Amino acid sequence: MTRWSDLKEIIIATAAALLLVALSALLASSGLVAAPPPSDNRWLAEKFLTLTYNAERKALWAASPEVVTSILWDYRGIDTVYETSVFFFAIIGALMLVRSYKPARGEKIEGRGMSVIARTVTRITLVAIPVVAASIALHGHLTPGGGFQGGSVFAVATLLAIVALGTGFLVNRGWSKGRLLGFRTLGLVIIVFVAIAVPIIGLMDGGRAYLVQNQEKPWSGYGAGYIYSVLGLDILYSGTLLFLNLAEFLAVSAGLTLAFLVMGLPREKLYKGGDVE
Amino acid sequence: MIAELVWSYIYVVTIAVIVLSLYGMATRPNLLKKLIMLSILSDTGNILAVLIGVKSGVIKPPVFPGVSFTHHPEAGTESLARFAEEAVDPLPQVLVVTAIVIGLAVLIFLSYIAMLLYRKYGTLDVRLIEQRIRSGGGR
Repeated sequence: MTRWSDLKEIIIATAAALLLVALSALLASSGLVAAPPPSDNRWLAEKFLTLTYNAERKALWAASPEVVTSILWDYRGIDTVYETSVFFFAIIGALMLVRSYKPARGEKIEGRGMSVIARTVTRITLVAIPVVAASIALHGHLTPGGGFQGGSVFAVATLLAIVALGTGFLVNRGWSKGRLLGFRTLGLVIIVFVAIAVPIIGLMDGGRAYLVQNQEKPWSGYGAGYIYSVLGLDILYSGTLLFLNLAEFLAVSAGLTLAFLVMGLPREKLYKGGDVE
Repeated sequence: MIAELVWSYIYVVTIAVIVLSLYGMATRPNLLKKLIMLSILSDTGNILAVLIGVKSGVIKPPVFPGVSFTHHPEAGTESLARFAEEAVDPLPQVLVVTAIVIGLAVLIFLSYIAMLLYRKYGTLDVRLIEQRIRSGGGR
């Protein structure tokens, strides 16, 4: 019996795949699909690629070789600030739905977790994954990656800990709802502070600067600089990009960890609620 | 001819996945499966957006090579023009990063709602949930 149903599924899958190939052959021969894609970039992409690290045209540069981060936090900076606040309010809204749960002081949460093998491997990777995450976030203005990517990688580590070691592993070590929410808010506050720092400096100086402004412009001579000299080393930090990436890393890792942590709490805890905090 | 076939195959498969995920969202009664289909839909949409930025020939990530914290030579217009010939369009990638963040936020919120529904009605099947609402409340 099982043999026949397996065969039936194989036949259906093969037929579907053949149908897709036939459809794409039809499309290719009719010339409806513009393929293969053109070999040169669009005008806008060309502008971003040639201007973002162009030391000869500093009026329009972002002082970072990473074009994606430059667009995210410099050219389209305000957009990303709003995006971060959308993420923040989504997590706040989700937590509001489960607000009946208030952990009691010193409350222990029991959790068995998985087998010894899984627990051991998880304890090893629990060190490695946050290191990689911090590296992705710290080098966000130099290599592919950034604050959000690093924060997501960090949340993988905590999700792994929740699944393999049990929720109690984190909760009993002081990863409480209030503390994580504090880190989350701290990240957003730093982002807002960095976004308004340059305009405030400009106002105090009697000039004018823009929100989320990164580098100096000819018409607005205020910027966050891009090289910091310490111990005889010139360190490239690309103005506000490094700070915004680190703040976003803090915000995203704490926010995602909090969402996973509350989701991983035992059902009776969530259902019953607890004592007043 | 082969290149055109491969490219139209990529587009056809992507659109087929979108259609399948919409079908799954409409027909599966389980809320968790609806959520999985929603995330597949948004990820496939992101793939379509990234495909817009792809170009044929040499493809490299849109990061100017050879720059680190301590080693950062000043790049001029010439070297950047050479870099721009090889790098892909960064703009769709930026939009996809934004879309992923927003999609994740929506997914977290929806999964919390699904979790609450399960706590109240003891099931994620929308037909059973409707039945239990009509018969007056949770379990």
